[in-house]
Amino acid sequence: MVERRSLHKVLVANRGEIAVRVLRALRDLGIRGAVVYSDADRRSLPVLLADEAYRIGPPPSRDSYLRGEAIVAVAREIGADAIHPGYGFLAENATFAAACRDAGIELIGPPVEAIAAMGSKIESRRLMRAAGVPVVPGGCDPLATIEAAQAAAAELGYPVMLKAAAGGGGKGMRLVATREELASAFRAARSEAAASFGDDAVYLETFLSRPRHVEIQVMGDRHGHLVSLGERECSLQRRHQKVVEEAPSPAVTPELRRRMGEAAVAAARAVGYYSAGTVEFLLAADGAFYFLEMNTRLQVEHPVTEMVTGLDLVRAQLLVAQGEPLPEAFTGAVPRGHAIEVRLYAEDPYRGFAPSPGRIELLRWPEGPGVRNDCGVYEGVEVPVDYDPLLGKLIVWGEDRGRALARLGRALEELRIEGIRTTAPLFQALLADADFRAGQLDIDMLDRKLAAGELALPAPPPGRDLPLVAAALAHFERCQRVAGAPGEGGGRRSRWSESGRQDALRGGVWS
Amino acid sequence: MELIVTVGERQERVRVERDGAGWTVRVGAAAYRVDQQALGPHHRSLLVAGEQHEVVVLPRGEGRYWVSSRRGGALVAVTDVLSHLAAVAAGGAARRSQRVTAYMPGRVVAVLAAEGEEVAAGQGIVVLEAMKMENEIRTEHAGVLRKIAVTEGQAVEGGDLLFELE
Repeated sequence: MVERRSLHKVLVANRGEIAVRVLRALRDLGIRGAVVYSDADRRSLPVLLADEAYRIGPPPSRDSYLRGEAIVAVAREIGADAIHPGYGFLAENATFAAACRDAGIELIGPPVEAIAAMGSKIESRRLMRAAGVPVVPGGCDPLATIEAAQAAAAELGYPVMLKAAAGGGGKGMRLVATREELASAFRAARSEAAASFGDDAVYLETFLSRPRHVEIQVMGDRHGHLVSLGERECSLQRRHQKVVEEAPSPAVTPELRRRMGEAAVAAARAVGYYSAGTVEFLLAADGAFYFLEMNTRLQVEHPVTEMVTGLDLVRAQLLVAQGEPLPEAFTGAVPRGHAIEVRLYAEDPYRGFAPSPGRIELLRWPEGPGVRNDCGVYEGVEVPVDYDPLLGKLIVWGEDRGRALARLGRALEELRIEGIRTTAPLFQALLADADFRAGQLDIDMLDRKLAAGELALPAPPPGRDLPLVAAALAHFERCQRVAGAPGEGGGRRSRWSESGRQDALRGGVWS
Repeated sequence: MELIVTVGERQERVRVERDGAGWTVRVGAAAYRVDQQALGPHHRSLLVAGEQHEVVVLPRGEGRYWVSSRRGGALVAVTDVLSHLAAVAAGGAARRSQRVTAYMPGRVVAVLAAEGEEVAAGQGIVVLEAMKMENEIRTEHAGVLRKIAVTEGQAVEGGDLLFELE
């Protein structure tokens, strides 16, 4: 028998757009929303939208949003029934989850054991294999010697991939094409793994050439219901960081969706999962798919699933946390239409994606049919230097992929963010790319195209006079203000604006 | 008012005159009639022969502006003709010097050279950290470091001087 208790107040242990997203779900359900904030975020959007806000420390994450014990203490002090961790920070931290449980505070998410089991690369590989979920062919055990590595590689067949057992982010990874390359790659991968993770254990996997990243959203309750909500295509990544996600995947048929969904549910069931989770797969060109990892939390890109299913995943998380069964609409969900999300980071695509913090001087989000903004900032706010640079997400929906792409183009035309640089021009460049338009994606594609200079970022045509005119007018006005000269008023507007229209009829205005 | 306006390699004489409620702006041989509406402190709508351009013109220090339209942005330098002539006469163009400022707020992680040191073109002088990323700030040309304005661990704002090169 699952205990049911209604939530009256929930503390959001996060910041930025995801804190806003959770606060919205809380308000939809009539639950009081509290947030913690660092000194850098006193004026942030979540603090302005929350019912209650509590200072948690100075700007650096380790002194604020990563202080698990302090956050649990705040939750107890203010009488919160539960904590929503969002993503990042403490979201997949089994120690924090256990601390919440010990304090009698519900952590909105899966059970502690599921977080712990999926937290280890090698351990989760073993579990998945035992549950009959396909993993990339290769070993689960660390290779002690070069001879062992040679034997394992011969069995798998070249090319193979050497990977650090404790790895992540491409560190300690080596592609080995032939037997001759193995010895030196083995030594290099081990020393890199030791330097990066303090653990030199490496293992071998079959090398997959240009796979896609396709993940399955699962949702479960404490009554044993566990469902797949279909896939998200997340192949477009820059340095292992997702930048564009869509649903459904252009590569997934209804039959493949069913098989991947079943595998994902089996994976989640193997660790006794409930709440929202994501099982990530690599999808090879031949249609074979392999377990990569499971994210035991709400994912950044959850809105594309919401857009094609019409479901509210955060609301469902809250209901499940109250001990309620999954709403009926979650069973048998099939994607309707097509959704695309682009991540707006405060990064400058014209300067190698260098961070671009600062004051947002102008902010206008696109609106209208089929457009959703999950945004964590507002005009006039300062984007701090201390955190992940995600400002917000722009999500569009269309009846099919072509119409979703058209809406994305329209929405990007409407979007204005000034004062800082964002990744918006990258998406305009992608919209002009034939492979992206055709849905021909793989996980290396974006890095490859950026390195080859194949994506043309929009730029004002050289020789165009608009910037000169605008700057000259601004300078003139400044000089007048400094000199204290009163501006000239007066109404002879009609004469010259009329002649202006005649100029327009003759064609292009700017030389 | 006559101005010298520079964008990248391009330099033009620009004349700005009142024209009724609007302006006439001449860029070289071209003339534009412009209706300008201020939408905010740095936010403008320019109507030029029926074409609407929503621009943001952010001051970036003495006579420098970041002009951003829907098609991207450009850094534009504006000076009046007399100051421009004075600068040219003083040989400003001949003596190459570089004042390098932080283009973003951040923290100085490392200072890689010392004042008075001879440095090569492209040499890293200061490492700035922001948003969990480190960025090396380098010289544009070879020269002598006349001044280093920051120390390790210091927080800087966008536009703060980092170093001067001569």
